[in-house]
Amino acid sequence: MLSNGGIIVNQEVFLQVKQVSKTFPSVKALDHVQMIVHKGEVHALIGENGAGKSTLIKILAGVYEPDLGAEIEIEGQCIEKLSPITSVRHGISIIFQDFSLFANLTVAENIAMGGAIESGNAIVNWKEMSVIAKHSIERLGVDIPIDVPLGTLSVAKQQLVAIARSLACKAKLIIMDEPTSALSKGEVDLLFTIIRNLQKDGIAVVFVSHKLEELFEVCETFTVLRDGKYIGTYPASEMDNNKLISLMVGRSVTFDRMPSKGIGETLLEVKNLTKAGNYKDISFELHRSEILCITGLVGAGRTEVVQSLFGLNKPDSGEIILEGKSVKITTPEHAVKLGIAFVPESRQTQGLVLRQNMRDNILLPILNELVNKFGLLDHKALEAESDKWIKEINIIPAVPEMLAGQFSGGNQQRIVIGKWLATNPKILIIDEPTNGIDVGAKSEIHKLLRFLADKGMGIIMISSELPEVLAISDRILVMRRGRINGVFEGETVDSESIMNKAFLADKNIK
Amino acid sequence: MKHWVKTKEFMVLMIVLTIIIIVSIGNGKAFLTTENFFDILKSNLILAIAAMGMLPIILTGGIDVSVGAMMGCASVLSAQWMINVTGNIPLAFAAGALSGILLGSVNGFLVAILKIPPIVATLGTASVYMGLMSYITNGNWISNIPAGFVAFGKQYVFGYIPVQIFFLVAMAILTWWILKYTFLGRGVFAVGGNMVSAERIGFNVKKIQFLLYAYAGFACGIAAVVRTSIFGQVDPKTFTGFELKVIGAVVVGGASINGGYGSVFGTLLGVALMALLENGMILLRIPTFWQKILIGAIILAAVSIDFIRAKRAEAKKIIVDVT
Amino acid sequence: MYNFLKQTRKTIRSGSKEFMLLGVLVVIAFILTVLTKGKFISMANLQSMASQLPEFGFFTLGMMICILTGGINLAVVNTAAMSSIVGALVMVKIYAGGQGSAGTAIAIGMLAVFAVAALGGLLNGFAISFIGVTPMLATLATMIMFEGIGLLLSKGNAISGFPESFIWIGSAKILGMPFPMVLFIVAVIVYYILLEHTPWGKRVYMIGCNPIATRYSGVNNNKVLMKVYMISAICGALAALLIMSRYNSAKVDYGSSYLMKSVTATVLGGTDINGGYGRVMGTVVAVFIIQSISSGLNLLNVNRFLTDVIMGALLILVLVINFASSVVKNARKKKQNAIKA
Repeated sequence: MLSNGGIIVNQEVFLQVKQVSKTFPSVKALDHVQMIVHKGEVHALIGENGAGKSTLIKILAGVYEPDLGAEIEIEGQCIEKLSPITSVRHGISIIFQDFSLFANLTVAENIAMGGAIESGNAIVNWKEMSVIAKHSIERLGVDIPIDVPLGTLSVAKQQLVAIARSLACKAKLIIMDEPTSALSKGEVDLLFTIIRNLQKDGIAVVFVSHKLEELFEVCETFTVLRDGKYIGTYPASEMDNNKLISLMVGRSVTFDRMPSKGIGETLLEVKNLTKAGNYKDISFELHRSEILCITGLVGAGRTEVVQSLFGLNKPDSGEIILEGKSVKITTPEHAVKLGIAFVPESRQTQGLVLRQNMRDNILLPILNELVNKFGLLDHKALEAESDKWIKEINIIPAVPEMLAGQFSGGNQQRIVIGKWLATNPKILIIDEPTNGIDVGAKSEIHKLLRFLADKGMGIIMISSELPEVLAISDRILVMRRGRINGVFEGETVDSESIMNKAFLADKNIK
Repeated sequence: MKHWVKTKEFMVLMIVLTIIIIVSIGNGKAFLTTENFFDILKSNLILAIAAMGMLPIILTGGIDVSVGAMMGCASVLSAQWMINVTGNIPLAFAAGALSGILLGSVNGFLVAILKIPPIVATLGTASVYMGLMSYITNGNWISNIPAGFVAFGKQYVFGYIPVQIFFLVAMAILTWWILKYTFLGRGVFAVGGNMVSAERIGFNVKKIQFLLYAYAGFACGIAAVVRTSIFGQVDPKTFTGFELKVIGAVVVGGASINGGYGSVFGTLLGVALMALLENGMILLRIPTFWQKILIGAIILAAVSIDFIRAKRAEAKKIIVDVT
Repeated sequence: MYNFLKQTRKTIRSGSKEFMLLGVLVVIAFILTVLTKGKFISMANLQSMASQLPEFGFFTLGMMICILTGGINLAVVNTAAMSSIVGALVMVKIYAGGQGSAGTAIAIGMLAVFAVAALGGLLNGFAISFIGVTPMLATLATMIMFEGIGLLLSKGNAISGFPESFIWIGSAKILGMPFPMVLFIVAVIVYYILLEHTPWGKRVYMIGCNPIATRYSGVNNNKVLMKVYMISAICGALAALLIMSRYNSAKVDYGSSYLMKSVTATVLGGTDINGGYGRVMGTVVAVFIIQSISSGLNLLNVNRFLTDVIMGALLILVLVINFASSVVKNARKKKQNAIKA
């Protein structure tokens, strides 16, 4: 239900962008996207993980530079180039999920500092900052002390300070990235009231959020992105959950389905795994030769769950049963001994040591096995072992001495996978296997995973990319806000069902 | 107010009070006299002034182990100035301050511009400065300080208070003012709290770092001349290892390497703690050799608590909005 | 064995930086010889260097391994001082107190040195790996603590009264070479093998580059770091023994000038101050270079204070050169990438 009844929305356009593209080394994050935001409009920007929402707003905030050919118009004026400082000057203010505030500075400083630095003085005028801060807080209609360190306030209040900061910068458009993820219902209501008040002043708000139910409470327009492309802009009155979800998932790019050749006995049982602030009551089974996919939106707790299976995130309660025996996985070292492998989400910071060569990276977990009778490294064995895996996984170029950082994204991922295959694991956990990898290489990795599963490995895959999920999953767990919200069979499921479970609580699914 | 009780400064204050109580019980007769109090004050003025310069550096996660050497150099240079040019008191302090700023600027250049890790850069400059100073003096005392200056140093205000107190008060107020009322100072906290955001918001991190090391040099210069005024001479050998005491005072006073937290008041408390510890040990007949052990242990405890706290906060973070 | 040699040959081939250092050493030795009118390569000087170099070398090795992991050990010299004082006290008590023969006294004394040093290393390792204190701060604190312990036990005095046979450590000759040098060479070989030919050594380098990735790869960072700081302390202990033998006594401030010099030698030898890269051979050559400069300046009768200045300036110079060369490297890389694009 729409909730701007009675408020006359100014139809004047504030921001218009066209032909916005952004290409990264191996991915095209945005492909000729457009968007129009009117003054005083509350506009939702939605799409799945990886649709390009975060890239688009970072371009608007001047953090990224779009590819050549982008047209950006603010209040009718053509803008050549945006930087973080100039975008603020033009009235665009962005509030990221971490708020980018200083916990150790006062509220007043957090609100007024940006503008104060620009003035170029050497001396801080506290009085002036107080006035500016108080003014902004009053505009929000809330009661927040301005002289205390920001860190002493609750998260919800800190967010209000972030909004106050935007007001102090004379923002005409405030972009909020996942604003309600850390708020209680009451705090969300307060936030929305404030947003409606801002509307009256002609300030537009762009909401990037997954919480469709909430969006309908306050947004009048929805812009949908999918796979970096602009799908359309729709008035809220014409939309509902189902329609939005089908717009988000209907797609042309798919992968061929790679079915399993048969699933074996139970390998892993997880029972009622719980960790405060991470996930609750997680229970599932993993079988041999099975690819189990855990999907859901970013922030649903998927990575936190699998990290607990690898000794990186100790659970508060629950049981893990590996091959019939109950285990407590205390450290990654322990997990590796148990035969569990983990390919983490960020291959550059977590998966690889970029400054060392490929061979050393691949052999890192199994060094102890490649020694001679004196306990010294057997270099011949090292070379043989790494050559074996380079061939098996097809790493290109096949130069073991090359530094890991010099390989392409797809090959870097292969190095990480190769590293773990060398440990001969029973279970392979892989978090976003093809993140940042081009389509051709993605397919190769899917084939590799299917091959490994068919040889008997149990694979737990976290993925946000539906085509991938549909292509190789034997079973799918959909997580939402720390819980398992849905279980599906890979052969029979469709995108919309998955997305429904990812976005909506059961009661909201029609 | 409730917030203040939870702060580190409060904890340090409690420790200081505890030490006072313990020493009073042990040897209250000698401890609780005005004479003793002002004695402590006089001997630790220098430490406090130098600590004022070290505080901002530690707040941004840096460190400066050339403090002792800078003080030594500044002492010698200002002494030479006094002896050979003029014994004019303000000018003497200016000479000290200027030498200090120069020496500190070299550190600032190495750390801020060349991005050399501060521990290593200042380790090097410490050797250079110390060597220079020792070379100029050849290891000998400088005792021919102009009489006027020496007389000045012996003065007292209101009976017991040594005149040098003004310098400490001035440095403390200056440091406090810079930290609170200038963008340089707020930048220190911003950088310590969130360096990336600080740069994005417009702070010039390089400039800030450079100025901080120069400021530490300045503080050392003033401390050096103050020292000369207290003792009436320059003894090149007393400066070795002084920086460790300074760092200790700042760290113990609650300044956190992890996030831009700390205050002038806390640092003064830290100095007080070190001072009372030393005095207490003397009065309680504990061999002074225990001093260093205690200082080292206290620093280790202070930083350990800091890091453990940070770890706990990380672990308690709510990552997922669990339904 | 064959493969070991083959790998070593490969290592030598890839060690272009180390050869450059060797070249620098030769040049400096040449310059010093000329400046000192030949005194530099006189038997007397070479023997003097050979007696000082090993203890300096041990401190540098101890410093190097910590820097490899991205840390530092400011306490390495004071660990040695503290353990030497305990060892000395034990030795003197047993020997002079008539409670044992010279042999027993020396043996137990040496044991004490190693034990105390190991404890010191344990403390550092624990604070750094389990509590997570930054190495600079942890070792700064322990540096002060250990000096304090040494002072407390020795009351600032030199402790002497060792059995005469103790100087054997310093003055004995094996195959014509002084024992300290032999010990150092053995240690270098062990270090080399440990760092570049064992699984553990590889892990040390990896942790220095990216401890998060190593943790995610199943490496027990804590265990490795503990061992690193203990090995560092043991190197200090070995240096302590050599110093004790050379001075025939133990005092807290023996060796204090070695801290900064060992950092200089480590960085000069090609070890990245931020960790992850460094070769034992490079460090050893650097130790020779620094020792030569030190001895050379001494022969030239350069005022010892100026020597300090020069040593400090040397450290800064090396760091500046490292910075400059990395700037050049990055600029070249950027050019290459721009051309590619």
